Amino acid sequence: MSLIYFKNVSKSYNGSLILDSVTFSVETGEFVSLVGRSGVGKTTLLKMLIREELPTKGKIYFNDKEVNKLKLQEVSLLRRKIGVVFQDFKLLPNKTAFENVAFAMEVAGYSEEAIKKDVPEVLKLVNLQNKADNFPYQLSAGEKQRTVIARALIQRPELILADEPTGNLDPINSWDIIKLLVKINELGTAVMLASHDKEIVNTLGKRVISLEDGRIIRDEQEGRYLI
Amino acid sequence: MIQIIRRMFKTAWQGMKRNSWLSIACIVMMILSLLIFSSILIFNYAANTLVNTLKEKMDITIYFKIDVPEEDILKIRDELLSNEAIAKINYVSKEDALKVFEERSKSNPTIQKALDELGENPLAASLNIKAEKTEDYDTIIESVKNSVFKDKLITVDLAENQKVVSRVDALATVVKIGSLFAISILACLSFIIGFNTIRMAIYSLKEEVEIMKLVGASNWFVRGPFLLEGALQGFIASISTTVIFSFLLLVFSGRIENFVPSLGLSIYFWSHFWLIFFLQTAFGIFLGIISSFWALNHYLKI
Repeated sequence: MSLIYFKNVSKSYNGSLILDSVTFSVETGEFVSLVGRSGVGKTTLLKMLIREELPTKGKIYFNDKEVNKLKLQEVSLLRRKIGVVFQDFKLLPNKTAFENVAFAMEVAGYSEEAIKKDVPEVLKLVNLQNKADNFPYQLSAGEKQRTVIARALIQRPELILADEPTGNLDPINSWDIIKLLVKINELGTAVMLASHDKEIVNTLGKRVISLEDGRIIRDEQEGRYLI
Repeated sequence: MIQIIRRMFKTAWQGMKRNSWLSIACIVMMILSLLIFSSILIFNYAANTLVNTLKEKMDITIYFKIDVPEEDILKIRDELLSNEAIAKINYVSKEDALKVFEERSKSNPTIQKALDELGENPLAASLNIKAEKTEDYDTIIESVKNSVFKDKLITVDLAENQKVVSRVDALATVVKIGSLFAISILACLSFIIGFNTIRMAIYSLKEEVEIMKLVGASNWFVRGPFLLEGALQGFIASISTTVIFSFLLLVFSGRIENFVPSLGLSIYFWSHFWLIFFLQTAFGIFLGIISSFWALNHYLKI
């Protein structure tokens, strides 16, 4: 049983084909980089996995459940099992770093005691313990991204989707984020990293799925980003 | 459950505090909306009072010839009282009529002199008739005109009264239709103002709603605090509106009552204070909840 299974998935917007019969699977605990030029469909692919978008054709499975057929309530549950790290952070602007992370626990119905215990631990893990009371506008880009990772981690997800997580960061912060993702993966969580940063992908030495013109052109273990 | 409700209140309060300018803008617009709503209540009351006052002032007076004895007039009064359309009949004797006339023309020496020169009471005894309903006046006038005692009457006033009756009736209808029309327009206006303000406020928070959904929040988890925030804003707006309205009434009711003394606006407001406050608060809370619910639905589809 694969953690993720994309079966002949196609997606088009207004008649223009973005993804064309994409088929691949990801196993529990794997680290997969999804590479390709901007606009090749990496983000669309990740969005379909959390049902932010629906495929035009094909089927997507997460833990053997067809994502497209999930009921509204089940979609919320799915999203709690998949932590997402967005390029544009998507932090709630009127909540502090602590509250942003706690929010993910609140939606899952955790008690106040659990929140008070877990959130500081996760913030410490991403080295943000001193910024807990800061609002997003008071955080640097790197700190914002680490808050997003903390939020993604707090629900102990089976999978973390990272959509260009280093896109808005300087090289030092970028590597901090990648190291964090590797560390999370080593602890058993599957990671899917969408990136067009050749250096990062090649240094990782993990599985690489390359997309071009909406199709998978390469899928290699210990792969490289080749243009 | 208690935990969910507590979180909802906490999030709603936090949302209002941290988006204070947006909340203030919403509350101000809702105050405007509620001021219109409460004005509708008062306007409705004023229109009804005006119509009732006009109706109250309407009556028919039938004047008897000078030589008709009092016993005959009282007998006619008793006969007329058997008519179901008549609510009340007041007998005004020649002496009473003279007293009232003298009282009224006290400041006019010419009339006083004329009365003195006449040496006797020239005024007629009369019956003042009030109908159960305004539309009954026509029937009453007709029955008086065709009665067996018609020869004992000075009938001149009846035709004139008929005109007044139809005029007052027409005016009452105009006031009723007009106030209904004004109330409908103002009610719509009040709803649209409140509704659109909250819709715009939620539009500005649509990204937050989307983020909440992407993190795994259920629709009701997102909706709850927003609805509560809308309700809280409605409640605060209602209290503020009551304060503003009381103040306005304190300042202006005296002046308004100078024009229409029987209106009793402030008496009506204070005697119906809790009812008005309840209706206004219910409208404010309903407006806050329904607008938030409607506006949010659009962004919860993600």
